[in-house]
Amino acid sequence: MSIPGPESPVVLSLSGASKAFGAVQALRDVSFDCRAGEVHALVGENGSGKSTLLGIASGFLAPDAGTVEIGGRRRRRGSPAEARRFGLGIAYQTYSHVNDLSVAENLYLAVPKADQPSYRALDAWAAARLAEFKLDLPTGESLRSLSLAQRQLLEVVKALLAKPKVLLLDEPTTALGPEEVERLHELVLERSRSGVGIVYVSHRLPEVLGIADRVTVLRDGVSQGTFAAAGMLEESLVALMIGRPLQHAFPERDGTERPAEVLLVVSALRGERFGPIDLEVKKGEILGIAGAEGNGQVQFLRALAGVERPSGTASCNGDRLETSSPLSALRSGIVLLSGDRIGESLFPVLSVRANTTVQVLGRLGRWGFLRRRRERRVVGDLAARLGIRMASLEQPVQSLSGGNQQKVSLTRPFLRGDVKVILAEEPTQGVDVGARFDIYEALRAKADEGVAIIVKSSDPLELAGLCDRVVVMSRGSIVDEIQGDDLGERRIVEAIVGSRVVRDAV
Amino acid sequence: MTTARSWLPLALMSTLIIALGAYAAARQDAFLTEYNLRNLLLTAMPLALVAIGQTNALLVGGFDVSVAALMTLCVVVASYTLQPDKPWPMLLGGAFAILGVGLATGVFNATLIRVLKLPSIIATLGTLSILAGASLLLRDHPEGFINIDVIDTLNTSVRFVPYAFIAVVVLAIVADLWLYRTRAGLALRAVGLDDTSSRRLGMATGRTVFLAFVICSLMAAVAGFYSAAQVQIGSPIIGNYALESIAAAVLGGASLAGGKGSFVGTLLAALFLTEIGNVLPLFQQPTEYAQMTIGGLILLALVLYQAPELLARLRTSRGGVGRLRMRAPAA
Repeated sequence: MSIPGPESPVVLSLSGASKAFGAVQALRDVSFDCRAGEVHALVGENGSGKSTLLGIASGFLAPDAGTVEIGGRRRRRGSPAEARRFGLGIAYQTYSHVNDLSVAENLYLAVPKADQPSYRALDAWAAARLAEFKLDLPTGESLRSLSLAQRQLLEVVKALLAKPKVLLLDEPTTALGPEEVERLHELVLERSRSGVGIVYVSHRLPEVLGIADRVTVLRDGVSQGTFAAAGMLEESLVALMIGRPLQHAFPERDGTERPAEVLLVVSALRGERFGPIDLEVKKGEILGIAGAEGNGQVQFLRALAGVERPSGTASCNGDRLETSSPLSALRSGIVLLSGDRIGESLFPVLSVRANTTVQVLGRLGRWGFLRRRRERRVVGDLAARLGIRMASLEQPVQSLSGGNQQKVSLTRPFLRGDVKVILAEEPTQGVDVGARFDIYEALRAKADEGVAIIVKSSDPLELAGLCDRVVVMSRGSIVDEIQGDDLGERRIVEAIVGSRVVRDAV
Repeated sequence: MTTARSWLPLALMSTLIIALGAYAAARQDAFLTEYNLRNLLLTAMPLALVAIGQTNALLVGGFDVSVAALMTLCVVVASYTLQPDKPWPMLLGGAFAILGVGLATGVFNATLIRVLKLPSIIATLGTLSILAGASLLLRDHPEGFINIDVIDTLNTSVRFVPYAFIAVVVLAIVADLWLYRTRAGLALRAVGLDDTSSRRLGMATGRTVFLAFVICSLMAAVAGFYSAAQVQIGSPIIGNYALESIAAAVLGGASLAGGKGSFVGTLLAALFLTEIGNVLPLFQQPTEYAQMTIGGLILLALVLYQAPELLARLRTSRGGVGRLRMRAPAA
């Protein structure tokens, strides 16, 4: 690989790009450029600002400050359509497929008007395009009939069909096995040799170093610099990715003499995007699940909570776990704290009081009527214990801060006496540092009561500080387990970015 | 691509129309007379037109419940602008005024939905109220005859087939070809199926949705002409076209989730719903039965059309992810 010299034209450049979402500064004065014919990788942890940067480049997000140039043309209004016109192609991590349409129709929609065939020649045209990319897919079938890997490859092919000057690939290999990764890389390199600038975003450092000419590292929305990939070591990249000051405190683990009583047993559990997974969690243990986004962690938790339907078995406290519906999982003592608090967990317009007691109203009432005074006392005690900051118990939860919302959803397992397992999905996402400790402490307190807790988090520091043991997931399987003295942020990040495991046919 | 599922509604509606027609013809001589058939087709016109408009709204994943109120307002306006003693140039202007009301309502609805981001059902519910109030303000009781020459022109027929009906058939066929055989049609379906992906692919999703609602209202205004031709007087009370138009679109194969539908299917369904109303009086049955039958049919059709998906879902839940494993061979 030769690094294209400075004489190659710059096909994408962001200068001084900043973007804030509410109080969170997602991107701070970042400059980034990609030249024709190079593969420029962009790495960083979850939440480091990669997606924001891509969103700004592709016209989906308007930057608060800074400018974007595509193919030498300054972007005026941010719209995906304009970015495409200027020569930007992007393969989205979550795809741009219309699943109910056929493969051929999806390809058709992806090319500019001038290149579209007559509608009657659609199938033949689509077959020819797929053959160009050596992709064997049924053109007439709807996308629903494709495997996840096929859909991911199709997304890249679609982006290439528009003949872009610069191609953005956002985590293009999450669903791919090693051979397919190889194929994708061949395809990408072929394009870059013919003068396309490639921006390659990935968590997988071996892949990144294998294909990139230059690497830019983002951390907490700030660029840590751009480096030549040749001679760059994975360790140095990891250090750049995580090198931030310690800013959270964590509750004490209560020593090592934990009763080794196994509470949750998962064997050969499979579902969409994960499996087979074998796992045991002990009473009073906090188990962390680490991994790059989109490697099946969320689906695994949801399967346990009965939100998605898995195959395989899980048992809790010796009894077979019913995971056919959220209600049956709840009856087995499993509580899911969803990562999408407002969307799935809370009733945004209802009060703190109502949100807290909604699952246990029967216990707080008499003859079908709520005993309001008792309800208020119970909720008030809990709110004080968890440190929920609010104007009154009647304040709608949508007007609380993220941290306080999360605490409200945490009150529920405290009210139910029968909780055996808590599944916490990103428990501190969007939560300010101060409130984090309260949440960690609440989880630890529950664990000390003998509850088993599984925490899915994209923050390795959090996992290292909070958990007793951490498993790392990649492509739907557990690829590493870390505990004891080994358990540290650096070790977790290394496991995440180094994961190169043959994926089972999911 | 056309699949079995998209042909099912067309086949079902055609069968039902013929079956009901054959039954009625066998039992009652009055059914197959030119007089009755012409009457049937003319009666079907307002519903056919407004349902074709409604199909546009459903295709982009919305509803327009204000269409009936708009038709009523158009009839009321017609009782002012299409008065019996007016000369042709003024009548022409009057017709444009009615279309103008439709256009304005469409732009109003589309702005609420696309610019102010209101859910379409809420937005058009508000519009419904405004339009209904306006109609009552203009005519608090049926009054003001519609120009009989205009009515005759609208109803001109070759033997028992009104020219207007032929036009609607052609319109529906052309619209379906457009929807399933052109880029713009594909883009419309894509927007209805998946707004985010469509935006990512650089499509003007906002414009598509906007136009769909404007066309819906315009079609309702045209339907208003045929309502006016039927009631022949400025009446502030016109039938339950909001629900019936949605019913016809759904019976014709439109999905409530957007992106699926057929204009020909909608037309057939409108014809069938009108046929029910036409046949019942021949058998001395009260037309209230028509309403109940229509309600039952809609439910039946929804279940039937979704049967393939329901079955698939059932299989998934039974066999765990067996289906998934089958679908995704070693990647």
